[in-house]
Amino acid sequence: MGAVRLGRERAAARRALDHQADPTGDPLASLLRSAGRGDQAAFGEMYDELSPLVYGVVLKVVRDPSQSEEVAQEVFIELWRLAARYDPSRGSVRSWASTVAHRRAIDRVRSEQAARNRVERDATNVTREHDEVVAAVESNLDQVRVRRALGELSPLQREAVELAYFAGHTYREVAVLLDVAEGTVKTRIRDGMIRLRDELGGAA
Amino acid sequence: MSDIDIHHLSAAYALDALDDRERMAFEAHYPSCEVCRTDVIDFRATITHLAHASSTSPPAGLKANVMVEIAQTRQLSPLLPEVVIDLAERRRRRLRWTGGALSVAAAAVAFVAGTAVVDRNDQPAYADALSTILQQDDARVVTLDASGGAVGSIKVAWSETIDEGVLLADGLPAAPSGHAYELWMIGDDGPVAMHLLDPAADGELRAVMPVDASPDAWGITIEPSAGSETPTGEVLYLAEA
Repeated sequence: MGAVRLGRERAAARRALDHQADPTGDPLASLLRSAGRGDQAAFGEMYDELSPLVYGVVLKVVRDPSQSEEVAQEVFIELWRLAARYDPSRGSVRSWASTVAHRRAIDRVRSEQAARNRVERDATNVTREHDEVVAAVESNLDQVRVRRALGELSPLQREAVELAYFAGHTYREVAVLLDVAEGTVKTRIRDGMIRLRDELGGAA
Repeated sequence: MSDIDIHHLSAAYALDALDDRERMAFEAHYPSCEVCRTDVIDFRATITHLAHASSTSPPAGLKANVMVEIAQTRQLSPLLPEVVIDLAERRRRRLRWTGGALSVAAAAVAFVAGTAVVDRNDQPAYADALSTILQQDDARVVTLDASGGAVGSIKVAWSETIDEGVLLADGLPAAPSGHAYELWMIGDDGPVAMHLLDPAADGELRAVMPVDASPDAWGITIEPSAGSETPTGEVLYLAEA
């Protein structure tokens, strides 16, 4: 018992030091650094901070709650495995976590069935899907800025970004869904993202 | 890759909206391109705002499961600075010689969690091969679907123009004692044994192999560790070519 407590105290002291030394002041970054040294309690704290973000992203793409839970679990195990390799110069911990979460969710839906089948199925449902996505985003009280920023986009920019990110389609699939040229979708996605960046900022 | 202006793919890449082939090509390109690298970091930060908008409380039991799992999961070592320098230097050298053929190994130093992290030893062979394959007009990339409770991610990239393929496996569990995974190319003559897979302790494997026929499908079975002439085990991973 004594040794366990001492170990915990040492880990806590180490975290406090890390936090002081962290030039970015991102408390998640110092938790992650501790986690990278095998500190499971620090990882648990990180989980508490990040789990709504991770689970929300996965659920949005995967849709099915029980599959989403599985994928979210895989995401956290991946974050644990890679903790020591996180590089703060490449983005915030939240940005890293949401990137891993989205990638995993995409892997799940794209391996589930051939992309072409998904497009065929969804092609009849574009409007419904779009509305669902919008409703889900808008139901989040905290996200007035995001809603406003999405509202600044042209309809095609907005649909392209949402079908890609929230519905997990490739831009080629989005082109089929919206019945426009691939090059057009690529441009709209890029223009839309630049506008969102201007509205929302690049730092997260 | 001449049909694609690679610098314009950063937004689609950050949204995970590229197909496998373009994604691999972009990951080979962007770590060494200052503009694309900055774009990816910025777009990902922007996307994090979108992600945040869909925040949802996870099921209550998830944390306990995660904590149990991580207690049993080995962590990867940090990337050492000399490896990073080494790769950057190698990339510069290659750039001088080939005028733009970029190494997928560059992705190792990039913020690309969840994708392959390349070890010092096997970096040059497969990365160069992959880079060359992806520049062919007939380059193909397939993801093998897991069945029967199999886990991990397995991709094969190949080009019949240059008769070469690369296998990329991540998160592959160790094969049972005395056994190994074996990759099969299924073509007109039936399954042809391609490669015995012996993943590293962390489940990663990269292999370069000749592909001198037209595959209809790729499959992986578990076989005795010496390998088999024809598949005897259950097909654990499969993709149509």
